[in-house]
Amino acid sequence: MKDDATFHDAELQDLAQRLGTRAAERLDVERTAQAVVARLREEAGAPARPSVWSQPAWLKIAAALVVVVGAGVVAQGVWPAPPGVALPVETVDLSDMSAPQLRELLRSVEQADAPEPVSSQDVGLEDLSPAQLRALLASLEMET
Amino acid sequence: MPPAEPVAADSSPTDAALIAAWQGGDEQAAAELVRRHARALARFLAGAGAPEADLDDVVQETFIRAFRAVATFRGQCRFRTWLLTIGGNVLKDAHRRAKRGRVVPLGDELRSTDGDPHERAVAAEVEGRLGEEVQQLPRLQREVFLLRAQQGLEYDEIAAALGTTPGAARVHYHHAVRRLKECLK
Repeated sequence: MKDDATFHDAELQDLAQRLGTRAAERLDVERTAQAVVARLREEAGAPARPSVWSQPAWLKIAAALVVVVGAGVVAQGVWPAPPGVALPVETVDLSDMSAPQLRELLRSVEQADAPEPVSSQDVGLEDLSPAQLRALLASLEMET
Repeated sequence: MPPAEPVAADSSPTDAALIAAWQGGDEQAAAELVRRHARALARFLAGAGAPEADLDDVVQETFIRAFRAVATFRGQCRFRTWLLTIGGNVLKDAHRRAKRGRVVPLGDELRSTDGDPHERAVAAEVEGRLGEEVQQLPRLQREVFLLRAQQGLEYDEIAAALGTTPGAARVHYHHAVRRLKECLK
């Protein structure tokens, strides 16, 4: 400490060396040692809590799959299909039907409260209006 | 500055040997490490502001943390120095929880039977003031001051334990001494 230019104060040095000495002298070291060993023994004997990340890999993969599938199911239930997305419908190929069958179909369509025709380039016979179906029927009758 | 307390007598196993023995399951090796270093640790903690009523608890907690983390001790400094820095962390946590100041056991000084009672009381009062001022120091200054002035460690050792440079440790020490001297005038 000879290089410590500011540490000439013998009183400060003496005080610093005495600081905490009396309290430390009152410590029962043997009792402390036994207490520490007992605590270490308790910790060593305590069952370790199993960690999720210490499980076998397959279990983690299975858990992840369950989460993904469950989330998909929930999402389907929560969010309906967005507008514009056509749901799959059972279609009938009208071109294979005979003229009487087509006439019958036309009648049933006229009786029903048919919706407005969809304006699209790619429409099926089921999307045609009664007038359009009638025209189609007439053309088929002419062909036959 | 007196030399640092001897860590182990020649015939005793080294700290490293005791650590290895404890890691191998020898409980008595752990107990021996506590016996060897508890007093110095308690002195450091009391000097840093540990209330005497809690001193045993803080010493125990420090050893427990040290034994849990002993695998990370790479011998960058002595085991005792490493232990003292852990003690500093334990004390900081304890202060944070308790938010209570150090109680200067002035009455205990007066129970001493040697010397003039008045001189003892004055010395105890000055020591109590120093203890309070040490607690007011920034943490690094406080730890460097205690490791240097109380424990008698060299700057290289202090720097290695605190993860700083010897030059920085020296600066912290000088700041601490200057401030303490001003306060004790």
